[in-house]
Parts: sequence; structure tokens; C-alpha cells
Amino acid sequence: MSRVPRSFRLLEELEKGEKGMGPESCSYGLADSDDITMTNWNGTILGPPHSNHENRIYSVAIECGEEYPDQPPQIKFVSKINLPCVDQITGEVKKNQFHTLREWKRSYTMETLLLDLRKEMALPTNKKLPQPTEGSNF
Amino acid sequence: MASLPKRIIKETERLVSDPVPGITAQPHEDNLRYFQVTIEGPQQSPYESGVFELELFLPDDYPMEAPKVRFLTKIYHPNIDRLGRICLDVLKTNWSPALQIRTVLLSIQALLASPNPNDPLANDVAEDWIKNEEAAIEKAREWTRLYAKPK
Repeated sequence: MSRVPRSFRLLEELEKGEKGMGPESCSYGLADSDDITMTNWNGTILGPPHSNHENRIYSVAIECGEEYPDQPPQIKFVSKINLPCVDQITGEVKKNQFHTLREWKRSYTMETLLLDLRKEMALPTNKKLPQPTEGSNF
Repeated sequence: MASLPKRIIKETERLVSDPVPGITAQPHEDNLRYFQVTIEGPQQSPYESGVFELELFLPDDYPMEAPKVRFLTKIYHPNIDRLGRICLDVLKTNWSPALQIRTVLLSIQALLASPNPNDPLANDVAEDWIKNEEAAIEKAREWTRLYAKPK
């Protein structure tokens, strides 16, 4: 397989996100539609059912740096959430405490990341964690 | 990395040994399917004073699939959007394996010479173009001065 360069990879992800071809439980798009470097993205995750996150919509901010997708993006929650891998002051998802970031592979996408965070919310150890008031932000 | 198909090697060699006037295409050393491209704005177009940077990538299925191309220089053109994506038939439905990198780049140069606001990608630009062509052309000239490299 050839290595798709960063920009064409991000354009593919953008197209998939724009056309809503991904799963319904998450979404993502460019934060600034004029940004030719395609660095900053907004995403949402729909809280998984049968958990304290059910029916909540969480906003996240994603930054795809120069080395993406060889290196993982940085991702932080905008909406307040109580999860062990999320820094409770900044909302940042801590790389060393979240397997998808820690063991990042080039084939992973922003969608992989959002869906894996959703799975993290649904883990037996996490799903009943007390959550902040809905709609509050970091 | 898997070895490069002969066709791509041939095309690359010819791009270097027999370049198209006003166009350069240079593969990246660490990814021979990924090219750094420049296109000079065609004479008598609002882009004539500038040189535009683009990037081109040959996907795994090339030449069964078209190359992927995007402008890196900001440009005011009804068929090129704010992220540099290009609306051009030979890059989409009219692609044929008989076409080459060089023919694609020539088509893009031709697109600069004759913008087509009736098949827009950048809707706001196309609207301006149809409403007031003279003003749109002036804006395209101004963006060329602002963002493109001088010839």
C-alpha cells in the first residue's frame, strides 16, 4: 500500500464527514472551512445508551498536526465529562491513558478516535460514573 | 514501500526530461507517488502574473483511478474551492487510464484560462463571476498578486 499524504488523507476524511457517510453516533468537520492546512476540527460524540451519557451530545476539538496521520491528533473535550482518560481541568484526552492514542496506527482516522472514545464511555467501569450537569463546558 | 509501477517511473522521467512549458512536477524523495507541482498562470488570464503551487498524489489504483490534485496557493476561481479542491471532469467522471499526469496538469492550466462559473465548486465565487464578471476578474488578479509567487 502506498502512503497517502496528510492532506489527501484529511480531504478523504472531510468528504466522508461532510456527506454523513460515517456512523450516526459521531460527526466531525473542519473548524474553519477556509483553513487550507486543515489543522483544526470539531467533532461530536453521541453518548452511548444504557449509560449516564445516554442522549448527551459531547463536543470535542481535534487538532491534526503536521505529522498526522503518522502521529495521532490531539483531542480535547469541550463539553464537560467525567472519564478517567480526560484531564478534569483542560478536557484534554490524555495520550498515555487512552489506548487509541497511545497505540496509534496510521490507518486510524478521526472517526476511529471518536468511536473508541464512545466505547470508553460505555465500559462497565465508566458507564455509571457521576457526570457533570449536561451542557457545561471545560 | 512497494516498488513503483513502471508506468509511474516512465511518466516521472518524462516530466523531468521533457517538461511541459509553464509546469513543473517533482516527486517527493520519501514518497514517489506524491508530487510537488507548480503551474504558471496562463497568458491573458487574470492569473498570468503568478505561479501557483499544487500537490498531486497517485493512489494505489492509478492509472485505473485518477490522480488526486489540489491547489496549495489560495486562488479566486469558480471551479476551485477554499481548500484548493478542483472541479474538473478529467479528475472525476471523465478520467481514463489513457490520460497522464502531464495531461491532467495541462487541463488544470486550461481551466485557469477559461473558468466555468456554470459548473461551480466554489458557489460564492461562481455567483460573483456570473453577476459581475469584470469585478470577479479583478479580484482574481488581486488574489494572484497577494498569494501566488510572482513569475
